[in-house]
Amino acid sequence: MNNSNAIFLECDKVSKQYGFFFALNKISFHLDENSILGVIGANGAGKTTLIRILSGLTSPTSGSIVIKGKNYKTDSKSIKQNIGIITNKSFLYEELTIYENLKFYSKLYSIYDKNTFKEKVEHYLEKFNLSDWIFEPISNLSTGMKQKVEIIRILIHNPSILLLDEPFSGLDFNTIKLLIKILTELREKENLTIIIATHKIEVVQEISDALLILKRGKISKFALKNEIDKSMIESYF
Amino acid sequence: MNTKKNSAKSELKLFITILQKDIKSEIRQFNDIFSIILFGIISIFIFSSSYNTINLGVRMPIEIFVIQIWMIIFFTLIFIMIKLFVQEKEKGTLYGLTSAPVSNGVLLISKVIFCFILLSFIELILILFSFFISIPSIQALNFNGFFNYIMIGIVLPTLDLSICGTLVSALSMYSKNKSFVLPLLLFPIILPITSPIISLNIKLLEGEIISIVVIEILFLIAHAILMFSILIFVSEELLSE
Repeated sequence: MNNSNAIFLECDKVSKQYGFFFALNKISFHLDENSILGVIGANGAGKTTLIRILSGLTSPTSGSIVIKGKNYKTDSKSIKQNIGIITNKSFLYEELTIYENLKFYSKLYSIYDKNTFKEKVEHYLEKFNLSDWIFEPISNLSTGMKQKVEIIRILIHNPSILLLDEPFSGLDFNTIKLLIKILTELREKENLTIIIATHKIEVVQEISDALLILKRGKISKFALKNEIDKSMIESYF
Repeated sequence: MNTKKNSAKSELKLFITILQKDIKSEIRQFNDIFSIILFGIISIFIFSSSYNTINLGVRMPIEIFVIQIWMIIFFTLIFIMIKLFVQEKEKGTLYGLTSAPVSNGVLLISKVIFCFILLSFIELILILFSFFISIPSIQALNFNGFFNYIMIGIVLPTLDLSICGTLVSALSMYSKNKSFVLPLLLFPIILPITSPIISLNIKLLEGEIISIVVIEILFLIAHAILMFSILIFVSEELLSE
């Protein structure tokens, strides 16, 4: 992306190899601050691998990632402090309540403040219509509710970049709408940079500033918002 | 100096946070612990009953008592190992920990201590129960001897086993056939210490002084240090895919 904003994330020739198979093959792109990037592609295109590498869950075989001027190789801890990630697997502890889970993660990111924490949690829970469930164990929640708690979990430590891998899976239409609204708001109000890997082309089309289409581990197309249309996307699959 | 102090303090806080979370989670799923304790109690009961049936009226010799207890503890460790990394990996919560700004060392040490606490709790119940059921022929054990037995005969081997258990649990979490791999990896690692643990326990229960069991103690400490070094050395590889 090229506009007046500063480069926030830079991915340079990133590859991930499993044996002879390249899950990602020399991926290079950069992303500006306060933007939303949609990552789409068929199954096995490398979307999840890209998200996992950007979050530090998986190390790349080669290449480098720089986020906010910091390199993973030397500053992984401070990069992780700025990242909020949602994957297809839940990070929430089923036996613990919503409140306990959020408290645990805020302590893990060293931002827990006894005086303001409850207020902060209540604010987010209200926003997601979960106020009545605060002391309910995660195991008692529906899939949609769990996904909402996942989003609160990543917001609670004030990240500057959100990495979302299939955040809309298992959600009903209304929850997807709500999530889109919240993501757009977050980008505007909290200055967040968001990367969303999903199969839902229409959602990505609606909210993304740019689109990264992956095919067999390689970038098939990197398009800006004005270049994006559904037929163009489908032709790259 | 101050930065180092602050960093150590924040690492300690993270360690306590992870440990607290593990303990709280475990208390909420007490059924699992209950099943492990039940397994141990039934094993002790069957073992003692069969011994008493063959040797009517004869109190269980210390050697048999010690072997019985530690054999059951070794099996118990396998169940606990599943709770360390294997379960977290399967549920996906492990990624919540590894994607957070927490050093691998803190994560691994918190798991070692969690394993130690869990194993000690189960051992406490099993040992108390076996003292009453098996009625070992312990004669020359005074208060000091009993204290030595607990601290050196139980706590030290439990710490060593916890380190081994954490290492094996972390090593096997990416394997597809975990239930097969866990014991297969664990036994070669703990085999060298089975003999010193049993010998140490027998001597301490017989009322021997610590100077008699120095070799066993040193061997256990050396084994624990070696396993812990391996754990820290391979931590980067273990916790990133």
